[in-house]
Amino acid sequence: MTHIDPQVHRVLDGELPADALTAAQREQLAALQRAAQVLSDLPRASVASRVMAEVRRPAPGVGRRLTHWLTERHTISISVRPVWSLALAAVLAAVAVIPGHEPAPVLGDQEGIAQFVGRFPGAKSVEVVGSFTDWQSGAIVLRDDNHDGIWRGTVVLPVGQHEYMFVVDGERWVADPLAGRYVDDGFGRENALLFVRPVAR
Amino acid sequence: MNSQRVLPTGDREVSDSEVVARVLAGDAEAFGLIIRRYEGGLLRYATRMLGYPDAAADAVAEGLVRAYRHLASCRDPARLKSWLYRIVGNRCRSHLSRRSASDLSLEDAPPLPDPSDTEAEAERAEQMALVERALHTLSPEKREAFLLKHVEGLSYEEMAEATGERIPTLKMRVHRARAALLELLEEYP
Repeated sequence: MTHIDPQVHRVLDGELPADALTAAQREQLAALQRAAQVLSDLPRASVASRVMAEVRRPAPGVGRRLTHWLTERHTISISVRPVWSLALAAVLAAVAVIPGHEPAPVLGDQEGIAQFVGRFPGAKSVEVVGSFTDWQSGAIVLRDDNHDGIWRGTVVLPVGQHEYMFVVDGERWVADPLAGRYVDDGFGRENALLFVRPVAR
Repeated sequence: MNSQRVLPTGDREVSDSEVVARVLAGDAEAFGLIIRRYEGGLLRYATRMLGYPDAAADAVAEGLVRAYRHLASCRDPARLKSWLYRIVGNRCRSHLSRRSASDLSLEDAPPLPDPSDTEAEAERAEQMALVERALHTLSPEKREAFLLKHVEGLSYEEMAEATGERIPTLKMRVHRARAALLELLEEYP
């Protein structure tokens, strides 16, 4: 590999003026600067219209349904890991036999129910944002009624795969550690994956 | 170093932080300012990384849409530029991992020089082809480091934000990329 004098690197890194170099070093400097210059032409293409078409696309109308169901009582289950699924099934079985509990709401064929559970001791607020809220906050706020650090919330979602994150205290984004499945979020981190299935009839 | 951009709009300049705040407040059209400000550099970066304009346009479009949808998670809007390069860089890595050179179609190939081009243009196209060929013999990590430093003009601090790598690692990659590139260019003066 061609040896580049450290002085040339220092000039290219802005730590030294170019006049500190010898004639041979300046040749190396010029060759690299020419290469960078050749690569600096801006493409003529534009993706602006394509991106703005997506930006202007109306958000899916799940917000109203989410708000509605957040104010309703419901029994639900979405499994995450086998051991948690069993525990959750036991809890739900107990809930189902409590007298006076309202029946589950009627759902569309392409709707299912998702329950979010996260352990965040000391948190002042926990909410869920995801592909189903268009990553906007404020639609799904979890509750910790027992003040035991376990935050819960249940919503109706379209059947299929969704990405989501917990937002703790309005600023800390946390992937659900119990989700079991994750997908690259494009920022070097991962979103949790949720699979919503139709309710068995 | 913080190189937050400002753009003249009417009688004053709008910072990245202000544009982000407007978008988050519901003014989706303001995202067009972000696109205008960074689209050119991002397309150039993606094109040099991937080697094919169509794939680069896909990576940038996907990246910008994701940026819009996740804008609330941009914790420091003053560093929007490096955040966008990070998103598009991840899209490029994803493209590179999915697609080998043998998958590329002729439609994706860079345009051949037009015979009606002037001599100067033809010479420049030849230079471009030579440098691009040399660039694509570098590993993606070295190529990314060279492009971010010398073509996109990011500081090492911004590069660290854009790549998630440590500054000494990035300096080493840039130094090695310079040496490798120079050697290749010297073979074809």
